[in-house]
Amino acid sequence: MTMGIYPPSLEKLIEHFTLLPGIGQKSATRMALFILKSERGVAEGLARSLMEVKEKIRLCSTCFNLTDDDPCSICLDRNRAGQTVCVVEGPGDLLALEASGTYRGKYHVLHGVLSPLDGIGPEHLKIGELLNRLETEGIREVILATNPTTEGEATASFLAKALLKKDSHLKVTRIALGVPMGGDLKYMDPMTLQHALKSRMPINR
Amino acid sequence: MTPHISPAIITRIREFGESDLMVSYLTADRGLLKGVAKGARRSRRRFPNCLELFCLSDMEYEQKKRGDLVFLHSCRLVDAFPGLRSDYHSLALASYMAELTEVLFPPGVVDKRIFELLKNSLHALDEGFRGDILRILFEGRALALAGYSIDLDCCCQCGRRYAGEGRAVFNRVKGGIGCLKCEEERVDSPGLAPESINALRIIQSSSWDQLKNLELTEEAIREITPVIRLHMEYRVGRPLKTAKFLP
Ligand SMILES: [Zn+2]
Ligand SMILES: [Zn+2]
Repeated sequence: MTMGIYPPSLEKLIEHFTLLPGIGQKSATRMALFILKSERGVAEGLARSLMEVKEKIRLCSTCFNLTDDDPCSICLDRNRAGQTVCVVEGPGDLLALEASGTYRGKYHVLHGVLSPLDGIGPEHLKIGELLNRLETEGIREVILATNPTTEGEATASFLAKALLKKDSHLKVTRIALGVPMGGDLKYMDPMTLQHALKSRMPINR
Repeated sequence: MTPHISPAIITRIREFGESDLMVSYLTADRGLLKGVAKGARRSRRRFPNCLELFCLSDMEYEQKKRGDLVFLHSCRLVDAFPGLRSDYHSLALASYMAELTEVLFPPGVVDKRIFELLKNSLHALDEGFRGDILRILFEGRALALAGYSIDLDCCCQCGRRYAGEGRAVFNRVKGGIGCLKCEEERVDSPGLAPESINALRIIQSSSWDQLKNLELTEEAIREITPVIRLHMEYRVGRPLKTAKFLP
């Protein structure tokens, strides 16, 4: 709470900005003062966008990506390989993979990872929906692209077991872990180096 | 102020601001601490994959005064316990042990032995130690370290010494055992055979080196499990959030 040095309507805006992730009192005040100083159109545009996001954006009923239309444009795209599904934690990860431009299959967004400390179990993620897609879409390969954190890895192992239990002929793969671009071996931790050596690739001539 | 270095087990981690991490970790010499790793999501040099849930890392940090958030300078991975990542049930049990540690040893309460217990238990879990046994070893020992041992010496009603013969009955309100003259075996006051009582005594009083080789019969496991659970629920006062993810 602020100390109330500003008029109440301004205080209220500051308070609302502090609800945003990573925004403290200082940044919130700066943002509110910026809105106050800028032209009316800026505030109106912002207010409209805020409401539009809440009204229009929903989850694709197939892959659970954020979308204006259901199914989303990726699920509708006939040029994408429909038998390969890449499983990601959140919409941000999907966007990052799309920006890389190398993947031409479909996606499945889990909306989180298994995290007992945060009270999140399998029933809180879109796991049952993924298992259902195997049959209805005739999926041949599932790429597990959860992040290589403790919880992301545990989620990937959980999914691999569940997927193979449902379809033992399914190809289940995990994205490679290793030395990042611009990395320096001297500063890598032993785990990363172990992974990098294990998942080494032949150089084709 | 010069930074301090402690071996630490990371018990919680979450994204904070644009590029920082908020990290809680248990140390042997300063107990449970919480602090910010500035730029940890960008700087791979100061924090090379060592800020991961349940990792054992050497943490270099500064704390202005007791109770304040610490400022993390750097860290170095010692053991990542990879087995925890390849199995959801192991992750769930590790989470449960971390939560119980937080409840019994909140910030400010320092005990080197709980650090050793958690570290050794994560190591055991990583190596495939049986989950149900590890759970009762950890619960029994952690409760005892926190000052909540089950009294196994005398009947909690008549005071008669328990001589190590015949069955006894657990009384959760008294936090002890009663003789068969004073107590009756029921679901909320389960009975214990002499072997189970002896095993429980060892669990409560031994260090990990002895605990890891403790041989428990299936009957002892079956009897001790509900006793420790009732005792813990009564002492802690509420069920742990992570308990529902255990088998
Ligand atoms: Zn879709
Ligand atoms: Zn008695």
